Amino acid sequence: MTSSLQIDKLKIMRDQVPLLALNETIAGGDVLSIMGPSGSGKSTMLNWLAGMLPHGFCADGELYLNGKNITHLPSYQRRLGLLYQDALLFPHLSVADNIAFAMPKEDKAVRREKIAKGLKDLGLVNLENRGPESLSGGQQARVALLRVLLSQPKAILLDEPFSKLDSQLRQETRQLVFQQISQHQLPAIIVTHDESDALAANGKVIVLDATPKHS
Amino acid sequence: MAYSNHMLNSLFNTVVRLSPKVLITILILPVFAGLLGVLLPAFGWLPALGKTQLGLQGFSQLLQTPGLKQMVALSFSTSLLSGLLAFIFTLLLLATFFDSPWLIRIRRMLSPILVIPHAAAAIAIAFLITPSGMISRLFSPWLTQWHIAPDWLLPHDPYGISIIIGLTLKELPFLMLMTLNAMAQPALNNKIQAQYRVALSLGYYPITAFFKVVLPTIYPLMRLPLLAILAYASASVEMPLILGPNTPPTLAVAIMNWFHDVDLSMRIQASAGALLQLLVTVLVLTTWWLLERAIKKVSYVSLSNGKRNYGDIILAKAVALLTVLLILVIALSLAGLVIWSFAGYWHFPALLPEQWLLIHWQSALLQLQIPLMNTVLVGVLSTFIAVVLTLLTLEFEQQNRVKLTKFHSLLIYLPLLIPSIAFLFGLVWLQEALHSDSTFINVVFAHLLFVLPYVFLSLANSYRRLDPRYAQLAASLGATPVKVFFKVTLPQLFAAILVASALGVAISFSQYLPTQLASGGRMLTLTTEAVTLANGASRRVSSVYALMQMILPAMAFLMVWLILKLKRKW
Repeated sequence: MTSSLQIDKLKIMRDQVPLLALNETIAGGDVLSIMGPSGSGKSTMLNWLAGMLPHGFCADGELYLNGKNITHLPSYQRRLGLLYQDALLFPHLSVADNIAFAMPKEDKAVRREKIAKGLKDLGLVNLENRGPESLSGGQQARVALLRVLLSQPKAILLDEPFSKLDSQLRQETRQLVFQQISQHQLPAIIVTHDESDALAANGKVIVLDATPKHS
Repeated sequence: MAYSNHMLNSLFNTVVRLSPKVLITILILPVFAGLLGVLLPAFGWLPALGKTQLGLQGFSQLLQTPGLKQMVALSFSTSLLSGLLAFIFTLLLLATFFDSPWLIRIRRMLSPILVIPHAAAAIAIAFLITPSGMISRLFSPWLTQWHIAPDWLLPHDPYGISIIIGLTLKELPFLMLMTLNAMAQPALNNKIQAQYRVALSLGYYPITAFFKVVLPTIYPLMRLPLLAILAYASASVEMPLILGPNTPPTLAVAIMNWFHDVDLSMRIQASAGALLQLLVTVLVLTTWWLLERAIKKVSYVSLSNGKRNYGDIILAKAVALLTVLLILVIALSLAGLVIWSFAGYWHFPALLPEQWLLIHWQSALLQLQIPLMNTVLVGVLSTFIAVVLTLLTLEFEQQNRVKLTKFHSLLIYLPLLIPSIAFLFGLVWLQEALHSDSTFINVVFAHLLFVLPYVFLSLANSYRRLDPRYAQLAASLGATPVKVFFKVTLPQLFAAILVASALGVAISFSQYLPTQLASGGRMLTLTTEAVTLANGASRRVSSVYALMQMILPAMAFLMVWLILKLKRKW
């Protein structure tokens, strides 16, 4: 079975005012780009997907992951990997423990091996026991990516993931992320205000309108 | 005109520059002088009694006191256990309601409880758990078959269980609110919210996510309030006086009794006891610190072991039950106080009295006129001094773009961390030595030691959160520092200043030991009267006093609320 993420007739409202509507299916390996000015509700939509719709918003519509309805599952049972613009590595855990935190429970030695291999693949050799705050921005972004990938998510949600990196690093990291998504054949959604992100994603692009400000 | 303006400005600058030093001096000098004033008599130096020879007689006298070991054990165990319980409950509540609108509701519910003085809380709890108290009435006779009040040990039980219940219930809201306030800093809040979400998206159940991801970040911010709680509990007087055993009492209560002994030579033993008290407090804090390190070490591995659920669902239900239970206990003890204060004849298993009377309130209000006036005057004056000093110190910070160092911040909280019983007697001795005869001024200064840290804590957050660009903008428009301070900074802080003032008077209202000692027992306040009467004959009069103790700070906060509401309308 190929993996897919289906957003079925989603409508999000803020205080009864319609904010956005969406109806899409993303196949494994594809990246849907959602663009729009701030306030258009793109991050709110991502929060809905992750099961964390903020108070004051309400949503109508269904979400299917690989054919299974997950609309009403709590976020911790959805298995959707999240990547934010900040790496959000846990400062109280080492790099290796940050990744181990995300992995399913299994034999410790097996996990250590997978972590070492993952780090090596991303060009991060021998960083296991470092504190996350001692890493550069680019390294942190890679560790965050590895953390998501090794958590074995069924789809990936990206919230402006590259906006804090400078342009050279940005291109490299972007390439790496999209390459990994396609390699793992995961459906992905990226929310961004940068056209070059959408271009590099090489998939469908949806542009949201700015919502009219109600007085 | 221009000249006087110039004068005003340079005066203001001088005052601002000096204020941090004045603030630190006001806090440090009495504490250290007080400690010295205990240290010297402890080693036998007490010129007032004609004793000028140093020796260890006080200590040998102390060590021969019967029951000393129990006293120390009681102080140690009640403070450590109540601190631990308050900590665990706080964590469970936070973990369960971390991402829920209930957290804000709980916070709102807890805030008023925070300003209930220890003495009033102790009285309320005593009446709840006493054999003929609300709990026993609630279940009698239909469940227990009791027709006369049973004979159980609570309160005043020799193990200090009643003290632990009282302290835990009182410290829980404090710890909870301090933690919530610390977590409310925008930068930190965004970070922990985002990390919590990452953990959820990685499949972690909510309570587990809180303990593995949020707690390690916020614990350092909980440490100081926690240590303050432990230090306070280890040496507190009101709770053990009202809820604790008498034979023997906790160490702090025993020390107070020795100081008040008609035999003045007992002062030497009391001073030695005060030093022992310091040791006990340090021991409690050290034990906590060791526990903290041990738990950190043991639990680190499990943080990243990948386990995502530790019975979260059951735990969440248990915590919900616990929350309901806590609210019930608090509500029941308050209801008990109110009923007792109006009760006429009220035989045992009946849940409500047969007769309702106003006479307890009427007679209490007559007797309370002078204590009430004292309470309010001391509260207002000490709070006023505290607010002014705090604002000037914070202005100094902002003008010089420095933040008080960790060391200075610690100094500000020193009076909260050092057991007051250990330095207050020394302070009294100092005031005697300085021939400071005004009871009123002595008491105000003693209260200031406890009011100032809270006012500072409360105002500093708001002040430091102000957008400095307003002041910079005003200055660029040609406003002098005085003008900026009074016309730009203070108006923005209006609400914060009012809230800090209400907190300040509430803290002052609740002081027992400082009032009692600094005035030599000569100044009667609401709190000293309530404590004196708590173990006396009439439960009804005692209830009125305890309720008055709650109403007074509540009125302060109500006033603040009304002013802010009116201002908003305008």
